[in-house]
Amino acid sequence: MKIIRFLSLISAASAFSSFTGSSLPRVPRSSSCLDMKYTVVLVRHGESTWNEENRFTGWYNCPLNDKGKGEALQGAQLLKEEGFKFDLAYTSTLQRAIKTLWIVLEEMGLMYIPIVNTWRLNERHYGALQGLNKQETVDKHGKDQVLVWRRSYDIPPPPLDESSEHYPGNDPTYADVPKADLPLTESLKLTEDRFMVAWENEIGPKIKEGKKVIIAAHGNTLRALVKHLDGISSDEITGLNIPTGVPLVYELDDDLKPIPHPDGIAPLTGRYLGDLEEVKQRIGAVASQTK
Amino acid sequence: MFAVSRSSLLASRAAFTRSFAAVQTADKHTLVLVRHGESTWNLENKFTGWYDCPLSEKGKEEVVEAGQLILKEGIKADIAHTSMLKRAIRTLWAVLEESDRMWIPISNAWELNERHYGALQGLDKQETVDKYGKDQVLQWRRSYDIPPPIVDTTSEHHPASDERYAASTFPEEFTESLATTLDRVVPYYNDKIVPELKEGKTVLIAAHGNSLRALVKHLDGIDESTIAELNIPTGTPLVYELDEDLKVIPQAGAISPLQGRYLGDQDAIRARIEGVKNQTK
Repeated sequence: MKIIRFLSLISAASAFSSFTGSSLPRVPRSSSCLDMKYTVVLVRHGESTWNEENRFTGWYNCPLNDKGKGEALQGAQLLKEEGFKFDLAYTSTLQRAIKTLWIVLEEMGLMYIPIVNTWRLNERHYGALQGLNKQETVDKHGKDQVLVWRRSYDIPPPPLDESSEHYPGNDPTYADVPKADLPLTESLKLTEDRFMVAWENEIGPKIKEGKKVIIAAHGNTLRALVKHLDGISSDEITGLNIPTGVPLVYELDDDLKPIPHPDGIAPLTGRYLGDLEEVKQRIGAVASQTK
Repeated sequence: MFAVSRSSLLASRAAFTRSFAAVQTADKHTLVLVRHGESTWNLENKFTGWYDCPLSEKGKEEVVEAGQLILKEGIKADIAHTSMLKRAIRTLWAVLEESDRMWIPISNAWELNERHYGALQGLDKQETVDKYGKDQVLQWRRSYDIPPPIVDTTSEHHPASDERYAASTFPEEFTESLATTLDRVVPYYNDKIVPELKEGKTVLIAAHGNSLRALVKHLDGIDESTIAELNIPTGTPLVYELDEDLKVIPQAGAISPLQGRYLGDQDAIRARIEGVKNQTK
């Protein structure tokens, strides 16, 4: 009886795999057989219309401009050339990141993969400064104060009033987010705290399930992620610039710790795709803009 | 946790009282259907089915207009469904971008794919007529339940050859008629979309000629011979309002046999419906 059942299991398994066209049996590998290695790719969105206007953007939902769309396309082509494939994508609720992701997926022929939009990947919220012109703000509050708000790890800009159009509670996009979670302002630290909830509870576990993940997001949420992955200090992270549109590839071990890549540009251990000299210049160039 | 993920949506329902606006809209259930715009293979006059060709330039323009009509109408989609084929996905993305709803959750389902054309997939329509005869081809194209010849697993057109379908199993010999298309569209609608409508979500579906035929046949109770001839114009939003029991509320301005109404220039739409009929698509 047992033999018959065993044989029927074998034939069922091979029939199953022939239906799905796969030549390998669908048997999960135990982690004792192999060192599991996971890959996650990060892409920061390109230039937006408000970058051009030199305004504090935060959660304001402005689109990419043509240059930003071009940057996304270039990033996509690099991923395509290296033969990357993804099963799952994460992005924010802001269109400049979503559009970046859409451009990448279209170029790579992966438009059909599931996309998860989460406010936890949104850019840092700029509080009462959101929408203001950067120069005007310096004129009003002084250069040093503005620099503190922009570059401090844990000092947030002045908070919004709940009546403001920039308060997420007034935006139907966030209708299902508990009010207590919606920011009136954010520092990099607060951004990191709310992003890490998504990493720990959703994105990390999916990666561990073997999903090949791409994350299209913003300067400060990607800072939060690489700070966590590479153990970067609070002081160093505020000065770190992640160039827009350049795919940043991390290979992670079974515990989701990075396996350092020889081409990693310190303090990051992941590698950027494309011309590394150009990337290094861009990292340096952004630093001098005192963004 | 996740503002727009379905699981958190359902979880948070228990924890938070619905706002007044949500209670109001709970009685009204809105479903918007959009057939994808012209594809490159439409231009080449080939049987497309599950082949994953893109929208043509004209198709891309059509779908931008569709989004603008939806925006103008004040319809705010909460959740979207589309197929695994880029011509429909691209249609959905254009509609979401134009109507400023890019952040809503999207489900990609093979169950919403176009009807699979079996062994005819990839073939030129005229060449197929030359080979099999006009009547046979017409039967395969317009019959409700007679499918074209099968493809088997050695064919590039069999779903087993495409990793995007790896999570599902398909018969080794595969083809579809409108009847079998309905057999996979309607259960998907009942299992996935009906619960969302019941929650008061406005649902947007971007799909294909035959998967939408299957859906409207179900919604409007259209008979088999009528549905096989029904033409749904591309890139034209089709709006259904459903009552509490999710029965269709016939819309003013609906063009029979449909009870939903198209958005846009009604005369132009009628002309298109008539015009496509004559192409013996």
